[in-house]
Amino acid sequence: MTNFYEMTYILNPVLDEEKFSEIVEYVNKLITDNGGEVSEVEEWGVKKLAYDIDNKGTGYYVNLYFTATPNVIEQVEKNMRIHDDIMRYLTLKYDSKMKRHYELRKKGELPVLFEEEEENNEEDN
Amino acid sequence: MINNPSHPKKGHLKNRDCKFTKAGFEYIDYKETDILERFINDQGKILPRRVTGTSAKHQRQLSTAVKRARFLALIPYVTENMR
Repeated sequence: MTNFYEMTYILNPVLDEEKFSEIVEYVNKLITDNGGEVSEVEEWGVKKLAYDIDNKGTGYYVNLYFTATPNVIEQVEKNMRIHDDIMRYLTLKYDSKMKRHYELRKKGELPVLFEEEEENNEEDN
Repeated sequence: MINNPSHPKKGHLKNRDCKFTKAGFEYIDYKETDILERFINDQGKILPRRVTGTSAKHQRQLSTAVKRARFLALIPYVTENMR
């Protein structure tokens, strides 16, 4: 039984570009070595954190999607937990609703909250 | 958030319709912080349904999304009250 997962993790911002891609490779390898399949990796780059994590104000965000069996997650998270430069990670299992949302997002057809109209009205008043 | 004119607490919300239902949301993504920020106050607290008019179903999804975003430091757990 395989599931679709999404994972976001934050890397120590003190490192350089090379080291970042090295760790991204390392995480991808963790997944593929355990029989998972990475479908998309998106690096958000260095972003400001809303609060300090390990006394650091910024972090390098990486967001990835993959297909795997549940026991893979256990292995991957075990290795990520002991990795010094991964400050935080979050893995989510996708259900059918989340998958549909993901497909829409890829196509760029996400529903938007209708706000513009109301803002225009305010200006008129 | 304090200067956000579209903030739900600013009283511009006359209709109590759920915005997520209206827009056809099936899942509220924690990555879309611009949406989440409209539903938290300037202290970082989640606004109640009676203020935003969100449906119960979407409020539950929203609270999960906010908590995930907080964990990943995308939005704050607490902010100092601006004076």
